[in-house]
Amino acid sequence: MSHKTIKIIDIKSIRGPNMWTYVPVLEAWVDIGDLEDFPSDKIPGLPERLVGWLPGLMEHRCSYEEYGGFVRRLHEGTWPAHIMEHVTLELLSLAGVPGGFGRAREADRRSVYKVIVHNLHDEVTRLALTTGRDLIMAAIEDKPFDVAAAVEELKDLAEDRLLGPSTGSIVNAAMERKIPTMRLAENNLVQLGYGSKQRRIWTAETDQTSAIAETISRDKDLTKSLLKACGVPVPEGVVVETADDAWEAAEDIGLPVVVKPSDGNHGRGVFTNLMTEAEVRTAFSVAVDEGSSVIVERFIPGNEHRLLVVGGKMVAAARGDFAFVKGDGQSTIEQLIETQINSSPSRGPAEENTLNFVRVDSAVRLELERQGLNAQSVPAAGHDVLIQRNGNVSIDVTDEVHPEVAHAVALAARVVGLDVAGIDLVAEDISKPLAEQRGAIVEVNAGPGLLMHLRPSAGTPRPVGNAIVDYLFPPGEDFNLPIVGIAGSRGKTLVAQLIASLLQLTSMNVGLACSKGMYFNQRQLDDRHCADWESGHRLMLNRQVDVAIIENDNRGILNDGLPYERCTIGVVTNLDPTDTVPECAINDAEGIYKVMRSQIDVVLPNGAGILNADDAEVADMARLCDGEVIFFSRFGDAACLAEHLAKNGRAVFSRDGQIVLARGNDVQPLMAINSIPLLQLRNDALESILAAVAVGVAMNLSREIMSTGIQTFSHL
Amino acid sequence: MEIVRLRALRGPNLWGRHTMIEALINCTEDECQITNLAGFETRLRSRFPQMGPLIAGGHNEPLTLAHALEVVALGLQAAAGCPVTFSRTVQSPEKGTYITVVEYSEEAVGKLAFDHAMKLCQAAREDRMFDLNAALHELNELDEDLRLGPSTGSIVNAAVARNIPFRRMTEGSMVQLGWGSKQKRIQAAETSHTSAIAESIAQDKDLTKTLLYSAGVPVPQGRVVTNLKDALAAAEWIKGPVVVKPRDGNQGKGVAVNLQTAEQITAAFEVAYKISDEVIVERFLPGHDFRLLVVGNELVAAARRDPPYVIGDGQHTIRQLVDVINSDPLRGDGHATSLSKIRLDAIGLATLEEQKMTPESVPPRGVRINLRKNANLSTGGTATDVTDDVHPDMAASAVAAAHMVGLDICGVDVVCDSVYRSLQEQGGGIVEVNAAPGLRMHLSPSYGKGRPVGEAIIRQMFAPGDNGRIPVVAVSGTNGKTTTIRLTAHLIAQTGKRIGMTTTDGVYANGRLIDTGDCSGPRSARNVLGHPDVDAAVLETARGGVLREGLGFDRCDVAVITNIGEGDHLGMNFINTAAELAAVKRVIVQNVSAEGTAVLNAADPLVARMARYCTGNVTFFAAQSAAHPVMAKHRAQGHRVIYRENGEIIAAQGKAMFRLPLKDIPLTDGGQIGFQVENVMAAVGAAWALDIPWENIVAGLASFMSDAETVPGRFNRFDYKGATLIADYGHNPDAIRALADTIHDMPAKRRSVVISGAGDRRDDDIRRQTRILGNVFDYVVLYEDACQRGRSEGEVVKLLREGLDEAHQVKEIDEIKGEFIAIDKALSKLEPGDICLILVDQVEEALAHIQKRVAEAG
Repeated sequence: MSHKTIKIIDIKSIRGPNMWTYVPVLEAWVDIGDLEDFPSDKIPGLPERLVGWLPGLMEHRCSYEEYGGFVRRLHEGTWPAHIMEHVTLELLSLAGVPGGFGRAREADRRSVYKVIVHNLHDEVTRLALTTGRDLIMAAIEDKPFDVAAAVEELKDLAEDRLLGPSTGSIVNAAMERKIPTMRLAENNLVQLGYGSKQRRIWTAETDQTSAIAETISRDKDLTKSLLKACGVPVPEGVVVETADDAWEAAEDIGLPVVVKPSDGNHGRGVFTNLMTEAEVRTAFSVAVDEGSSVIVERFIPGNEHRLLVVGGKMVAAARGDFAFVKGDGQSTIEQLIETQINSSPSRGPAEENTLNFVRVDSAVRLELERQGLNAQSVPAAGHDVLIQRNGNVSIDVTDEVHPEVAHAVALAARVVGLDVAGIDLVAEDISKPLAEQRGAIVEVNAGPGLLMHLRPSAGTPRPVGNAIVDYLFPPGEDFNLPIVGIAGSRGKTLVAQLIASLLQLTSMNVGLACSKGMYFNQRQLDDRHCADWESGHRLMLNRQVDVAIIENDNRGILNDGLPYERCTIGVVTNLDPTDTVPECAINDAEGIYKVMRSQIDVVLPNGAGILNADDAEVADMARLCDGEVIFFSRFGDAACLAEHLAKNGRAVFSRDGQIVLARGNDVQPLMAINSIPLLQLRNDALESILAAVAVGVAMNLSREIMSTGIQTFSHL
Repeated sequence: MEIVRLRALRGPNLWGRHTMIEALINCTEDECQITNLAGFETRLRSRFPQMGPLIAGGHNEPLTLAHALEVVALGLQAAAGCPVTFSRTVQSPEKGTYITVVEYSEEAVGKLAFDHAMKLCQAAREDRMFDLNAALHELNELDEDLRLGPSTGSIVNAAVARNIPFRRMTEGSMVQLGWGSKQKRIQAAETSHTSAIAESIAQDKDLTKTLLYSAGVPVPQGRVVTNLKDALAAAEWIKGPVVVKPRDGNQGKGVAVNLQTAEQITAAFEVAYKISDEVIVERFLPGHDFRLLVVGNELVAAARRDPPYVIGDGQHTIRQLVDVINSDPLRGDGHATSLSKIRLDAIGLATLEEQKMTPESVPPRGVRINLRKNANLSTGGTATDVTDDVHPDMAASAVAAAHMVGLDICGVDVVCDSVYRSLQEQGGGIVEVNAAPGLRMHLSPSYGKGRPVGEAIIRQMFAPGDNGRIPVVAVSGTNGKTTTIRLTAHLIAQTGKRIGMTTTDGVYANGRLIDTGDCSGPRSARNVLGHPDVDAAVLETARGGVLREGLGFDRCDVAVITNIGEGDHLGMNFINTAAELAAVKRVIVQNVSAEGTAVLNAADPLVARMARYCTGNVTFFAAQSAAHPVMAKHRAQGHRVIYRENGEIIAAQGKAMFRLPLKDIPLTDGGQIGFQVENVMAAVGAAWALDIPWENIVAGLASFMSDAETVPGRFNRFDYKGATLIADYGHNPDAIRALADTIHDMPAKRRSVVISGAGDRRDDDIRRQTRILGNVFDYVVLYEDACQRGRSEGEVVKLLREGLDEAHQVKEIDEIKGEFIAIDKALSKLEPGDICLILVDQVEEALAHIQKRVAEAG
């Protein structure tokens, strides 16, 4: 019996930078059994069937770096794991998940491969992998496969699990600025930056968004009275308890009026431009079901606008328009709404749709009633029927906003106390001051949606996510948490502990995760092995940590990746060719090198790689480092060190019984080696001490701190 | 007896600093002497024994029914638990009419107390029943409903102790602390710095636990489950007793602890699942419940919370034992008392059932029966203060937890054996963090010391020495207020501060007009003090607002009284004399802060006499030499004086002098316009009191322009075909005399004036206006005002004309209907070199009209 199957043996979620790439990936180990003997050219019709189902595969350039490259490989013969990589990526792309990285590599035994694909969300990527496997098997076996249904399923899952577009825009803007981002929960709560440098967002709320301000913004009446007191124009109104009161208030204020719930949202139960007693009473009876009390206020003529204020500045404005349908003499209004309004691609139920579907709800019915129509009426050909007056905000007008209007909305946000606010404003012409046209601010919203600014139905999209990120992280301020990552075969823990000992002499709060546990300053928080992704990640989450020191062992990097996107300082102590990880198919020095280099690959351009000049493999990583390289050496005689110093590089090494700090020809003694108590206890510790001092040099620690920290070290 | 009018004086007022209800009361002749009402006082006292003694205004004055009403209205509030002590009744100038003022702590309670007091007095007169207990209960209920809750109240009290001003923003617990750009807000134990995201995180117990775990804070391990099978599996994995609770819940609803068996877990899951789709199963931490309160980086209080229980006596049922405990007056129904009543509700019954008991069981003597598993105060639990026992590591864990979640004020729920050891050491853990934690258990714990947590919160919000105040200058007087206010604002603005300003023309904040109309009352003042873009406030404080509602602020840094003179608007609101008017305007002087300054016109005797009412410093000014006796004496005592000498304004204190040449102050026209010199001195006095640097004052005086734009209707000058037009809003004898004097000293071929009298003044005040003008001006145009304010047609013009009868300068008089026509008439007769004073009535419209005519003339 032949085993022409693709069996997924295991799927590893590698959550940080790793030997394959900088981004999180899923690494699937698959066993293709007897398909090992059937590359794609040996299965008649397979390439055609795959391309037929997934025409987008033509775009995959693959090894040939040209259009159709991958399909050429299919025809020439390639193996299922490689096909699985491409099919998975194609499925993700069809489901709207942003494109990314893929690899397929042989593992260490026959018919077993690693398929590596970028991973935005475990569940989504896993589904893409298994769907890809099923699709390929169907193609191999020449069985039917419902591609559309599979893509739809994947898309639904992605929409449900991935960040919404508003939060997504902020996260993308942060990524553009190279600010690390981490989701803290399955919702839209995201941490930007690490440790004490972090900020949090939840859709368009920030960690500075005041809870009291939100409470105020939800109370329209209070909001209005506060705004009015500060001279911000608002529609005068009164809270009413009964339909009789509502009508009395409407008469006092003067028609037309607006009737709406005092604490509702999403425009439910809001009725505008009410002209008659009957309309006011009807509106009251609907609105009263939405909230605790109902407001009657002056109707402000004009268009609805939404202005976004971020950090005290107006950054985007959108205008809404009335929604109309044009009669054709045959269709009912209900049908016309479907064909003329809801057919627009910008409308839909999902958050990514700029506009909601228009339904014949109470507000629409009232609007139609006023025109003497109902949903089943058939308007004459060419006759315009007004469907909705509000809720259609999506035409960008940012550049037209009058400075006085911009001032008024910024003031409104300030009065309520919100750092990020969506201001609803009604005015005939946004390019004129409000006072001139009796325009008014009708509502102040906390956590406003950003989509109308990101994807307006007309006009220029506004980079509001960037505005929020720039507000949270003012350009020019360093947002990188100092992180020291340590890799290598031996002595890592000691290096990490020594660095902590140096940094604890500064005023910073030091977080340390190493094989001896996790520490916050002097306090041990965990006594287990903490040289892993999870512990490093805990330090990244900790708002009290000013500097993080993280030991990364090979297994950790292989199974989970590094716990940070980039780091300030990367240390590689040494590389022992026997330090293999057979279960991950890392069996030789070359493999180990690939794993450890990750630590140097992620060093920031303004950071430093700390490398052992005495270890040729490690020293070779200097070429991979985006930042400065600082060598350390026990002997001070390596060729690479001399070369490095000749280029005015920095190094730390021992010479004549001293630890010396060198830049080019300038060599300064730091301390006598025989003055270090640690070496009495562990005579092999010199290499670690040198590495730690090199980190101190990279972090501009004073010589006193470095020598005191080394001499007083006592964590063993 | 009839209450003609009832007002709430919400700020410092004529009668004092308390908030009070002011009632205007008409008494019949009999009622003007209660001894005329036989047995009334005895009947009154029998209905309301707690009432205090009736005290007349003076030894010789009679006790009236109004006095009785006063004492009853105060006494009712006091008996209902309101902290009030002040009341007073005075005879108004009208016979049989009295003004009664009674302090209140809650406005509505004060008003209701007046209602009940009226009914009580009525009942006493007619010898009818009065249900005192029902009235007191109603007042007490209303008061509990309205007054700040204990948490908010403790913070507000702490703010008051730090001299931080406060204002309630809602009927609920939202309060503004501080003013203008320095204001902050609280709502119960939330501050304006409390992050909404942090609150959301605190609501999500699972996420909270993840974050706390990251910070190395001990938490009970566990996970979220969505079905019973998984719940049982999770419990299996945890091994040992577990807690089951809804993921989103509050007040301990649906929480079940120490569950050991599958049956217990199943039952608990069903309950929790009804509250939330996601249920948490986690390790049960044995020990007591503690609440640690973290404010900023500090642990400020800790309490042990014990669930309600009874101890059996072998005789009574559980229900009877509970009733005994609940009869403790300390156990109230609401949140106001330090203990709440124990309820034998469904949860209580279930708890008993687990112990195989019912409310009717009689537990044996000495056996303790728990009535609930959670220890919330609101369900009858008790709190024991343990603040002083907390181990530093325990405190560090609590602070780390608050910090991780991101809350500035945080209630940390800890389960452990004791707080005097670290959590790690004893295997305890943090089970929850709470935003907006209740403070009651720390303020008045059931056992142990109360802790000053309100103070800690205020300390966290306001740095030492910061009282949240912005500089406030209050200005009052008969004439020159608006110019003084605008100039003072301009001088303060030289330091870069953003100014909020209220005037009779409108409210300005940071250079923008935010309200129009007469804005000299307390509402406008409060609006300015609530505006986030205001760093300093200059507030016109007119008598109307002071009489109607009191001041819109508690204290000011500077009170300026420009002058009282003969007064204006006399005869209204029982203010018949200039001295009575001075008593009203003096209210701002009486409420200058201890470090503040009253800037007073020494040349005006009524104003100069206000000095002794000022608890702060006094700066005197007078547009004459330093020889003025009041000034000379004041200066000799080392105090500040401002006077005019040799073309300079001199500000002097002891030997130190600062000189301001009048030629560098365009507003005074080189010193020519006398009343502007006084206004400048008043403004300089205010700026000096606020320590505005002299170079800023000099620059401000040099750059201040008095034109129709900046100070509309205040000596606005125009050139019209070679003649000089002066538009001014002056409308009382003092203002008109100042204008006449100034114009008299200005060279002119012919002087003309356009005037109408405002109808709301006394006949003689209207006549006197033209009497003054007629001795200076050659030609007078009288016109009828737009609004006659209660006068019949032609009446005002007739009075104006009578005033001109004895005038010796006037040669020609015209009578015109309509302000614009009158202006045009005067303009048509102007020759180059003439001066024409136009006393505008509708300021904005008239100025626009004049500007139009000036423009037409080129």
